[in-house]
Amino acid sequence: MSKDELWQALLAQIQFNISKANFATWFKNTGILQKKGPQVVIAVPNNFSKEWLENKYNKAVYKILHGLDDEIREVKYTVAKLETVVQLPQNAPLESDGPVSQLEFQDFKVNKETNLNPRYTFDNFIVGPFNELPHAAALAIAGNPGSVYNPLFVYGGVGLGKTHLLQAIGNEVLNKFSQKRVKYVSSEKFASGIVNSIRNHNIDKFKSLYKDIDVLIIDDIQFFAGKEKSQEEFFHIFNSLYEKNKQIILSSDRPPKAISAIEERLRSRFEGGMIADISMPDFETRIAILKTKSQEKKINFSEEILEYIASNIQRNIRELEGALNRLAAHQKLNNRAPDIETTKVLLKNLISSPSKTTNPDKIIKAVAFHFDVKEKDILANSRKKEIVGPRQIAMYLIRMELKSSFPSIGNKFGGKDHTTAIHAYNKITKELENNEHLNEEIGLIKEQIYRL
Amino acid sequence: MKLIILKENLIKGLNIVSRVAGKNLTLPILNNIFVSAQKNFLNLASTDLELGIKYWTLIKTEKEGEITVPARILSNFVNLLPDKKIILELKDQDLFIECDEYKTKIKGMSAQDFPIIPKIEENHAIELYSPALCEGLAQVVDFSAVNQVRPELSGIYFNFQNNRLQLAATDSFRLAEKNMSIENNPPSQISFILPQKSAKELMNIFSEFTGKAKLYYSPNQVLFEYMMTETPHPQIQIVSRLIEGEYPDYQGIIPKKYDAQLILERDGFINQIKTASIFSGKSNEIKIKIDAKRGGIDVLSQNPELGENKSFLPAQLNMANETQKEMEISFNHKFLIDGLANIKTKNILMELNGDDGPAVLKPEGDVSYIYIVMPIKAS
Repeated sequence: MSKDELWQALLAQIQFNISKANFATWFKNTGILQKKGPQVVIAVPNNFSKEWLENKYNKAVYKILHGLDDEIREVKYTVAKLETVVQLPQNAPLESDGPVSQLEFQDFKVNKETNLNPRYTFDNFIVGPFNELPHAAALAIAGNPGSVYNPLFVYGGVGLGKTHLLQAIGNEVLNKFSQKRVKYVSSEKFASGIVNSIRNHNIDKFKSLYKDIDVLIIDDIQFFAGKEKSQEEFFHIFNSLYEKNKQIILSSDRPPKAISAIEERLRSRFEGGMIADISMPDFETRIAILKTKSQEKKINFSEEILEYIASNIQRNIRELEGALNRLAAHQKLNNRAPDIETTKVLLKNLISSPSKTTNPDKIIKAVAFHFDVKEKDILANSRKKEIVGPRQIAMYLIRMELKSSFPSIGNKFGGKDHTTAIHAYNKITKELENNEHLNEEIGLIKEQIYRL
Repeated sequence: MKLIILKENLIKGLNIVSRVAGKNLTLPILNNIFVSAQKNFLNLASTDLELGIKYWTLIKTEKEGEITVPARILSNFVNLLPDKKIILELKDQDLFIECDEYKTKIKGMSAQDFPIIPKIEENHAIELYSPALCEGLAQVVDFSAVNQVRPELSGIYFNFQNNRLQLAATDSFRLAEKNMSIENNPPSQISFILPQKSAKELMNIFSEFTGKAKLYYSPNQVLFEYMMTETPHPQIQIVSRLIEGEYPDYQGIIPKKYDAQLILERDGFINQIKTASIFSGKSNEIKIKIDAKRGGIDVLSQNPELGENKSFLPAQLNMANETQKEMEISFNHKFLIDGLANIKTKNILMELNGDDGPAVLKPEGDVSYIYIVMPIKAS
């Protein structure tokens, strides 16, 4: 039973023992923080709940927990915030009506006109082999907006710094050419702007907002998929800006080709300038990022700890920062730097919980599911085209993900020769180089594998 | 439980603890006051689960015991009693009150069900002069943000550092900071964010004290304590939760330089802002215009429906750029008045940084207080 299930079971039982008002008051936002052998640590939102649970309900809680899991012998309470507690969205827009607006302190909020957050600059953008190309392109654009690489299309996974790079361009342009008008919007904001203007019958006003812009930055363009009216308006804005040699910068989590449900004429425009991708940072870059971030926070952690974080969080820079924040909070509370052991405990649930493993069966299952064919067809000897393709992909994935030997792969697929497996592997590897579609498909299947 | 107490002592305690009781619908017992007869002391307590108040007063105890009774009924009733001795006695779950010719019974709820007010390990006390603390809080307490979008801005920032206590509050449109010196430093540098409501209660309750209050800090709560003058026993304790999160590094927004510095007479300035505010309309906008030739400022406001107003106030001018003779900045008049209300000196210092930069208000010859406000920009 997982921690959450255990707590749910407890809540389900304890509500019969106490009054509804008490239940609602004292068990709100509680949960199991940690379960370690016989000891369970329960997170409560404040000291009042702590005192109350400790003194009044401890017996009942212990009895139920022990009943659910007889390993549990000790229950402790601590004031802590649970991960699952939903935070209010930050900087929710507070639109003031009327033409007069009260200004806010700049450090507290993003620039209203440009929507840029001054925190994102090139100075604190860390460059590694994984983002050299987009960074170089971005620098070139910031120095000379509109005349090189137009549009710039940056794509890459979650938390790798797309937004940082885009905003850095905007901020740099503003720095260098203060008279230039920069506008940064997320595609979602753009789309809701269109919806609002349609509702209020002032679509022209909306268009005019984008008419005189020198640098237009739109983040997460993949959310335009399926929003036809947004695409149409964006298409017109794009064209009018492009004709006037205004810079357009776009980002997405995948290349233009892979964004489904987006019109061909838009897609081709996206591809007309420069496409640059940000991939995963390598180990050294991750270390560099961690060092810079901890310097920003004015905290020093030992090399060992930074290396531990960098080697365990690989796919997402934002998670790296999250890990640092957690350690920083710990240090602030306890007034001493965490050692490697505490680090491991603190970061336990950040670091991809149970280490992701897979096996050939899962891979085959995922491939079969993706292509909608039967597993046993893949494993059998059929040479139909619709079966052979998936089979080769399955072989390729088993080789890539599990490093299985070619003979064993052949064996797995109904006793085929190892050369068959080698052929499949080579064929897919070669095809991946210039087939973007296949790349995308492999990515999707991989996600599926680790979800199984 | 049976005890004898003077009315004036009881009412004093009730007035303090009943402040936080009586605002909770989900847990009815929170509308009650906890009444406990201990040896020589009567203990009253109330809480809203964010803030807990405990009060002690000397009494003659005949029998120990405890009960909770509705705060409103008890304090309304005791208020009307004559200034005589009061006998409180508990029989079952009912509190019997006897005073002079009055004999009353109030239905209570078991003290067992009353929330336990958290204890704080009383490790290292920071001593603060109660009047100074209350005065300092009063100067910043109104400026914390009301909405919950950024919870850390909804409280008062306490920062103890180098024999100084810094109090700050901001709602991101304006910011106030008060500096005061303290005698004994905490062992390490500590800072926390006290919810605005707790700060207000603390201020109201402690403002009547003239001596030193003690502060005990633990990572997610804080305790303010005031000792009895007669005997070394706490008279009052306020325990409050703290707001989680990191307070923004606001030092960066305090302007280091200015475009124009003005020394103005406070009362005249307030009066002119108030006059101008009559014509400011819904936007609350008034304009401050520097007139270097005449050596002062114009305070202007206009409204197409109501009319307009202009007044001149002489000022000692100090322009960063000598050649600049004029400057015009719009403000929300309420924000200016709020800041000026907390400055008590005859003259005030106003520093302006263009029509979109922060403006500073300071008492003349006093560096302990600073108020910063952002202008309004008409677009």
